[in-house]
Amino acid sequence: MKTLRKWSRILHRDIGYFFIGTTLIYAISGIALNHMNDWNPNYTVEVDEFQTDISLVKNDQIKNNIKLVLAEVAPKATYKKHYYPQNNLIKIFLKGGSSVVVNTNSGNGRAEFLKKRVVFYQSNFLHYNPHKWWMWFSDAFAGALILFAVTSFFMVKGKKGMRGRGGIYTAFGFLVPLLFLWYLL
Amino acid sequence: MKKFLLILSIITLTISCADASKKTDKTASENETTTENSTEKPLIALADFDSKAGKWVNKEVQVKGIVDHVCKHGGKKLLLVNDLGDVHVESEERFDDAMIGSEITLTGVVTEFRVDESYCLQEEENHQQNHKDGTDSDDMYAKKMEQVQFFRDSMKATGKDHISYYSLDYVAHQVDKATEATVE
Repeated sequence: MKTLRKWSRILHRDIGYFFIGTTLIYAISGIALNHMNDWNPNYTVEVDEFQTDISLVKNDQIKNNIKLVLAEVAPKATYKKHYYPQNNLIKIFLKGGSSVVVNTNSGNGRAEFLKKRVVFYQSNFLHYNPHKWWMWFSDAFAGALILFAVTSFFMVKGKKGMRGRGGIYTAFGFLVPLLFLWYLL
Repeated sequence: MKKFLLILSIITLTISCADASKKTDKTASENETTTENSTEKPLIALADFDSKAGKWVNKEVQVKGIVDHVCKHGGKKLLLVNDLGDVHVESEERFDDAMIGSEITLTGVVTEFRVDESYCLQEEENHQQNHKDGTDSDDMYAKKMEQVQFFRDSMKATGKDHISYYSLDYVAHQVDKATEATVE
């Protein structure tokens, strides 16, 4: 038992150190993605409404006119493509996911500028398993979480361990998801 | 220190042994080219997609359009558009949201979703239950029921017992870089 306790502490501590970064990535992106309906977890969106006199009706001059409009409303942006979702609407795509929509009759326009959220964008990117190697690494992380749970049973002896306070906390920890299951299923 | 090195070695070994294969996994956005013979796959104009897709259910076709939207919930759906039409595309892998605004030629398998009276009845039941449970507000409930009525009216107008909605299951795509960034 003494050896088991000793190795439980060593493994819990040292593998824990190794996975601190990964834990933060999944914790941050987990919160961010949980609230996806309330915010855009990857980008900040800046909306700019404007009015233009430049004609954006479909004709031979359209690309030149788009250039003039972008010079006014998004001088730093790079044009990608455009199309007409309706007869009187043009949507102009800009590099980086930003876009400009203009009513070609009224000249009323709305520009949406997207900017990547630092840390969140990168964390969310990894959270979605972008590559097979990351999938295996995150599997190893999940395995480590199981190891942390198992080793925690043996790390501490006495009244603060599993036979005392630790056991009570563990029971409550199981109870919470069980109550959700009972209520939701 | 020896214990630390031992543990680190175990972790490294575990990760490196996890996949000995040299084959790399590609996301949907990386699958930009296809080596298959494209002449066997018809290129369907988006304007004609709804009318022609029925002939190609479960078969590969090609479509060309601009990526208007990549679903932010998971990134596995995109909307391909042009001035005359659009088509929804689904993938098992995530699409790179950098594709938004790019003109692409996309290969996909046509899938059909049929709306019929039994679907309408099931939807009605679901909406009523959600409204009763308080999940859907009065407004939301009214809108959803309007949608069901729209399906029924459409079936009645066409004289058919179902409406078919077509979409694509993603296979591959190629970005048409020549048409991009022509405005400096």
